[in-house]
Amino acid sequence: MISREAVVDVRSLHVRFGEVEAVAGVDLTAYAGHATALLGRNGAGKSTTMRVLAGVVPPTAGSAVVAGHDVRTETLAVKRAVGYCPDVGGLVPRATPWEHLQLSARLRRLDGWEERARDLLERFELGDVAHRVTSGFSHGMGRRLSVCLAALHDPEVLLLDEPFDGVDPIGVEATFDVINDARARGACVLVSTHLRELAVEACTSVLVLRGGAQVATATAGEMSGEEGARAYRSLLD
Amino acid sequence: MPTAASWTDLRPREVRRAVADVAHLVDFRTTTVRRPRAFALGAAVFVGLTVAAATLPAFVSGAGSSKGYALDAVLLIPTAMAGFMVLAIASAVASGGGRELLHREHAVIHPVSPTTDHLGALLLAPLNIAWLLQAWILIGVTAYGVERRSLVAAEIGIVIWILAATAVGQVVAWTVEAVRRTSHGIAIIRCVGVALAGVAVLLQLTHHTVGILDSLKTRWIVVGYVDGFRMRWVESIAVELLLLVVAVVLGAVPAHLAARRAPRDELRVESGNHPARRLPRSALAMLVRLDRASVWRAVPMRRGLAVLAVGPGVVALAGNLTWPQMTILPGLVASGGALLFGVNAWCLDGRGALWRESVPVGPGTVFAARAWVLTEFLLVASFVTMVLAGLRAGLPSTSELLALLCTWVVVVLQVITSAMRWSSRRPFAVDLRSARATPAPPLVMVGYSTKLAVTTTLTSLVFSGLARVPHPEVSVLVAAPFVVWSLVRLLHARDAWTDPVERARVVTTVAG
Repeated sequence: MISREAVVDVRSLHVRFGEVEAVAGVDLTAYAGHATALLGRNGAGKSTTMRVLAGVVPPTAGSAVVAGHDVRTETLAVKRAVGYCPDVGGLVPRATPWEHLQLSARLRRLDGWEERARDLLERFELGDVAHRVTSGFSHGMGRRLSVCLAALHDPEVLLLDEPFDGVDPIGVEATFDVINDARARGACVLVSTHLRELAVEACTSVLVLRGGAQVATATAGEMSGEEGARAYRSLLD
Repeated sequence: MPTAASWTDLRPREVRRAVADVAHLVDFRTTTVRRPRAFALGAAVFVGLTVAAATLPAFVSGAGSSKGYALDAVLLIPTAMAGFMVLAIASAVASGGGRELLHREHAVIHPVSPTTDHLGALLLAPLNIAWLLQAWILIGVTAYGVERRSLVAAEIGIVIWILAATAVGQVVAWTVEAVRRTSHGIAIIRCVGVALAGVAVLLQLTHHTVGILDSLKTRWIVVGYVDGFRMRWVESIAVELLLLVVAVVLGAVPAHLAARRAPRDELRVESGNHPARRLPRSALAMLVRLDRASVWRAVPMRRGLAVLAVGPGVVALAGNLTWPQMTILPGLVASGGALLFGVNAWCLDGRGALWRESVPVGPGTVFAARAWVLTEFLLVASFVTMVLAGLRAGLPSTSELLALLCTWVVVVLQVITSAMRWSSRRPFAVDLRSARATPAPPLVMVGYSTKLAVTTTLTSLVFSGLARVPHPEVSVLVAAPFVVWSLVRLLHARDAWTDPVERARVVTTVAG
């Protein structure tokens, strides 16, 4: 395990869309070499928090620092440090997987990325469709490719939003491998999901959100098994 | 929309149900109108303009006369009616059977029959600026040409013809779509298209076009209009009504056939392989490559561009337009091109917008790539049109050539500026996979197309006049302020996009 060095530091995060407050005061600290799960029901603010950390949505109030960069003022630096798998789609419909990977490699100035890209595509069983446009992909294939794209550049911070949604067991295992590899090389991993069992299997700590605010933090061990299921259930009500 | 069609869906009980379902869908669509005041205003403008087109020309000096321009107008009505039908067919065929009352993705969970889909597409057909303009012109020409005592009778006939022609267009479009979805359908449709174009060119070259137009059966219908409410009028109206009813009913048959077959165009694009190419040298080049892929691999864009680039060009070729008249073409084609995706340019990324936004590249570069891809799309389309139109026009004078080139640059810039501004201001989550997809809801599209048509047409008219001025440099001097103004507005649009809060709103909206 890598030293406890805060890579993601969120303080009193608020995100408002018009009248709707999607995130209402989230505090979050995540560390290098650790995987943190964001758990919660639909609309709890998980995906919006992830979007803020990816530099896609600016915070309305509060602060968020990712890999030493303020998401509000150093958005581009944040994007360079982060690998992000969005919750919806995440793929340009009429581009092929290889073209997605090329874009990511080009914009991050990666050298010798092709071998890594092919390896990821093979691990996620997407090698055969590397040159097919993604609009014909199944939901699960799209999710798997999104994880590949997030992991391609060995990011300092790996943000996976609902990576297991509609994914078959082989894809789930490959995603676990990506998370474990990232942790092993000292990356900070955040996984947003509503699937508690998978979250505690993949992560070391858990943050539970409800109504846009955090209601609990716990270790993965505390949230696992029957006891963890009861605790989680009570936190959601 | 649905695929599980059966012939039992064409029984009267099912047809009644389908009609009722259209009403339910219309109700649903009207309740989801987010700007009811704008909707009401739009409806009022539509009614007002239609009433104005049907009445005001009748009060113009010389209207209804049996000589001069009024006589010319009456003589042109049969050809104009046939032209309207050709437009209705082309429009419905290009959009793969017409627009959807409820988008395919949203309709998939509802039992919406192909008959409902067909009727819905008919209802939405008028929400198209080309349809509206042609309809108003036809109504206006009739009001000017016929005597005032026959005005009401003639306008009733013209309106029924407009409806009948639209329904016939729908029948042809569904039939084309049903054939296109068979195993060799795409090749068949392309061959038929080329053959029809060949016949049209042959008729024109052999000087048979006028004879054909004179022998159109629409003349028999128009003869019934001009003497008011007499027996002859009843005969014309009866024929039109028969055509209308038969076309509306008949349209359901190919609609069912098409619904039972997979859309091969889309499937071919979605399952096609695109071998890897070398990595471009710059981020901008990579973004442009990806944006180009998003445009050229989309069925509605390819089909729309072909119709837009070739259609007006062939019409201009047949009409033997002069160089000054040709200045109208770039604006027309560029406006149409922008309506294929440009007015909601960020929707090209679809659900990939979130990921695209997370990659480390400056928003200004993303904006530049998107604006450039839109620019080249519009330039290509309008260039093809101008080349076709210029084939029979002989060599232009320097003034004519410069005026045309200046119009081209100015109107394309105007269209790009408007499109990029609207894209940021009112983004929509749209899936452009289907040939029937539009980048914005139908009513919004009418607003956009009207604004583009007015701006580019007025600009074109300015340069059309300048083409006749013996000093070519005047066109360049006049073009300069247009260009500067458009560039300033484009920079404002870029500034709006580079604002992180605004950009987040756009990205999260188009990602759905």
